[in-house]
Amino acid sequence: MIALGKFYLLAILVFLYLPIIVMMAMGFNDSSLYELPFHFTTKWYVALADNSQLISSGINSVVIALITAVVATVAGTMAAVALGRRVIRGKSLLQLLLLPPIAIPWLITGTAMLVFFFWTGIGRGMHALILGHVALAIPYVVLVVGTGLQTIRADLEEAAMSLGSTPVHAFFSVTLPLLAPSILGAALFAFAVSLDQFVISYFLSTPGFTTLPVQIYSAIRKGFTPEINAISTILLLGSMAVIVVFAVFARPGGNRDKR
Amino acid sequence: MPADIPVASTGTPSGVPARRGIPGSVATIALLLPSYAWLLLAVFLPLCTMFVFSFMNATPMGKTPIVFTLKHYQAFYTQPYLVKIAWDSLLMGFWATLSCAILGFFAALALARATTGRVRETLLILILLPFWTNGLVRVFSWTMVLREGGFLDMLLHSVLPDAGSIGFLYTRPAIVLGLVHGYLPYMILTCYIALVTIDDSILEAAESLGARWWTILGKILVPLALPGLTTGAVLTFVPVIGAFMEPRILGGRVGVTMGTVIEDQFTQAFNWPLGAALSFTMLAVVLAIFATFSGVLRRNSGAAA
Amino acid sequence: MTNVKINSVAKNYGQVSVLSDITTQFPEGSFTSLLGPSGSGKTTLLRIVAGFVTPDSGTVSIGSRNVTNVPVWARNIGMVFQSYALFPHMTVRENVAFGLARRGIKGAEARSQIDRALEMVRLPGFGDRKPKQLSGGQQQRVALARALVIQPSVLLLDEPLSALDRRLRQEMQVELKRIQRETGLTTVFVTHDQEEALALSDQVAILDRGQIVQMGVPTDIYEKPKTRFAAEFLGDTNFLTGTVSARIVTLSDGTAIRLADAEVAPSDGQSVTLAVRPEKIRIVEGVADAEPGLNRLQARVTAVIYAGAALTYVLTASDGTPFKIFAQNTTGTIIPEGAQVTLTWEPKHTILLQDQA
Repeated sequence: MIALGKFYLLAILVFLYLPIIVMMAMGFNDSSLYELPFHFTTKWYVALADNSQLISSGINSVVIALITAVVATVAGTMAAVALGRRVIRGKSLLQLLLLPPIAIPWLITGTAMLVFFFWTGIGRGMHALILGHVALAIPYVVLVVGTGLQTIRADLEEAAMSLGSTPVHAFFSVTLPLLAPSILGAALFAFAVSLDQFVISYFLSTPGFTTLPVQIYSAIRKGFTPEINAISTILLLGSMAVIVVFAVFARPGGNRDKR
Repeated sequence: MPADIPVASTGTPSGVPARRGIPGSVATIALLLPSYAWLLLAVFLPLCTMFVFSFMNATPMGKTPIVFTLKHYQAFYTQPYLVKIAWDSLLMGFWATLSCAILGFFAALALARATTGRVRETLLILILLPFWTNGLVRVFSWTMVLREGGFLDMLLHSVLPDAGSIGFLYTRPAIVLGLVHGYLPYMILTCYIALVTIDDSILEAAESLGARWWTILGKILVPLALPGLTTGAVLTFVPVIGAFMEPRILGGRVGVTMGTVIEDQFTQAFNWPLGAALSFTMLAVVLAIFATFSGVLRRNSGAAA
Repeated sequence: MTNVKINSVAKNYGQVSVLSDITTQFPEGSFTSLLGPSGSGKTTLLRIVAGFVTPDSGTVSIGSRNVTNVPVWARNIGMVFQSYALFPHMTVRENVAFGLARRGIKGAEARSQIDRALEMVRLPGFGDRKPKQLSGGQQQRVALARALVIQPSVLLLDEPLSALDRRLRQEMQVELKRIQRETGLTTVFVTHDQEEALALSDQVAILDRGQIVQMGVPTDIYEKPKTRFAAEFLGDTNFLTGTVSARIVTLSDGTAIRLADAEVAPSDGQSVTLAVRPEKIRIVEGVADAEPGLNRLQARVTAVIYAGAALTYVLTASDGTPFKIFAQNTTGTIIPEGAQVTLTWEPKHTILLQDQA
């Protein structure tokens, strides 16, 4: 039974990774029509360097992801601290309000943003994308930081206060250093959420300002070229790296105790 | 009192203000305000606005007077082809969710029962890793496998060189396959969380009472995994029926779903009120499903406790 | 060193009254235990003294200073928490230095104070370890050093020993008492462990449902409980009810029990409850006459619990009340179940409770 279970898990991994590996391999194949046999080349990656549209949308993606990570982490951490440490009437309602951005299909959230931003004159473009991405990332940050906060006993701050710390000093000298791994994890998470976000970006970009996933989508709709494989490979490996770093930092009960 | 006091007298803390800080409620509101104001501006107000839009006669442009109407909510009567599309979308969601549930349950079971320690940890990370990578790119990956002359055909032709093409890109099964690929990690995770807590002794007790493996599966493992299965099903079904990028890329011309119809209203037809009404109809269906399942879930967890 | 005065302090959470009108005093240099079941308000009272909880009404003074509206961080208290609450990201030394740094004490002066504090709790040389590398008892000592080094006006201990195992707890009780004597700190100690309270304290306050029902030196609290609650909460007790007449209490079956001479007898005809501690009672098999001056009660053995050195007899007294007595196993003979026995005790061990039946 155990051997069967391991074999089954292997099959699941093949199912999950095979198409991705095939896609990546095709980015190194010489034929522009994906014809075999396989001839290794890096010319599609070289070609990327000349594709100014892809490059500028890639830069846009990274810039927006960075801004999203910073803003969502600061705001979300503040909210997580308030929700986790303070007596608030209607706390469960506030926690419930974090769910819609995660649970409602992005198609609906994205089109709603489009309608609202159009109607109020906020419009589309970079600022609209940042508005949308930060809103999507905040609930994740609150959840990640809130979970980390639960592992830090509240009486540590009380101990600091009994020794002469004001609440603000107690937070910065005791809770924040202990919370740092969670906050860093949340920031990476927010970065990844923004970097991979397609649906909302799709509705809020303008022809002059797009992100990489939006650019890839329109390229796919025009027709497949190995250049898409190349840029997809870069994007995929990039976000995998971010998530692996995140997994190391946010490992439950991780290195915090051993420090 | 002994003369040997161990520490020198230090008095009260110096430089510490002997007053209370800013009132607690003000601080709490200040901490919460950035996040919730942001969510209000970027999520809740937009949803409300779209709800209002769904009752408008047409997308408000220039000086055209705004007329309110219910006609977009009657679209399913007046445009019967939408009923067919909605049914197809629900069916697509059903097949994708069912496939995820079956594949995911057994993967979670294998993970919980056939692996331990570091191997299990690594496998879990490997399974979840694709979930946090770009969904668009993963969908695109399947076109490389499923297209005529793609990887699947290559495999076939290496065995049977003269066979035709078995690539099924631009069909409904292709869409379902892409969706399953996208949401399977979620289902594995929720089932795994439910299954990993099951004690060995429960299964041993069942075996000692003469239960065969199918009895253990049906009477113990599945019921205990039900909360995980339900959560996973909801988390899969909801985004799947709102999908538009997967049907467009993997379904081509046959990939018409509620998702693509709604997208069209916003990007092609410019009929925002209809798109909004269809979105809210879909949201209502989603909420109804949520409500039904949360009821089932509560009853089940209540019975288990 | 300073005393702590609590004047008419009350605290409600919503509709629930946690403390109602508490007025008491913890004298300078005293060790006071707040003893009570969970929900009795003992922890809330400690947290009001600490400043974590603001009372709805009343005042708290430490020394001559009214601290009712002074926040925790400006009260100069030393507090030890149930979970120790050591800062996990700091070494032992950094933990102890924390309060000194808040008082502007740094460098060599801080170093020597930290060293002395660690010596006091018998952990010299542990300064560079992290809390996680210490045992529970050692963590407790560090927490104590951290609270002592700031030379607080008052030391507050919130069930600091409850997380330790029994042997370690007894060891720490001795340490705690020694350190308190050496420093002469006014100490308030919250516990639900009655033996711990009796062993450590100069005075014990018993709390029940938000009120101090009795406060006094440990021997008084144990030997002369005022209420049924106090008698029952602290140690095992037997209760008898009867009617008073000329310093004699007559039980329902006619048995006469003499009150202690020191006791002020209630007026005749009143119904009263008496308490007798099980270890104060002697047991003799059969119906025997008592020595003159002793109280005597007939009973039947319903169960015997044999524990080697000691015996516990569970009995039914002649008036039908359940009784329990402890006997040292001096003779090696055990009175069998079902046997008729005579119980005797001195009248001075007859406790007249104030809350009457």
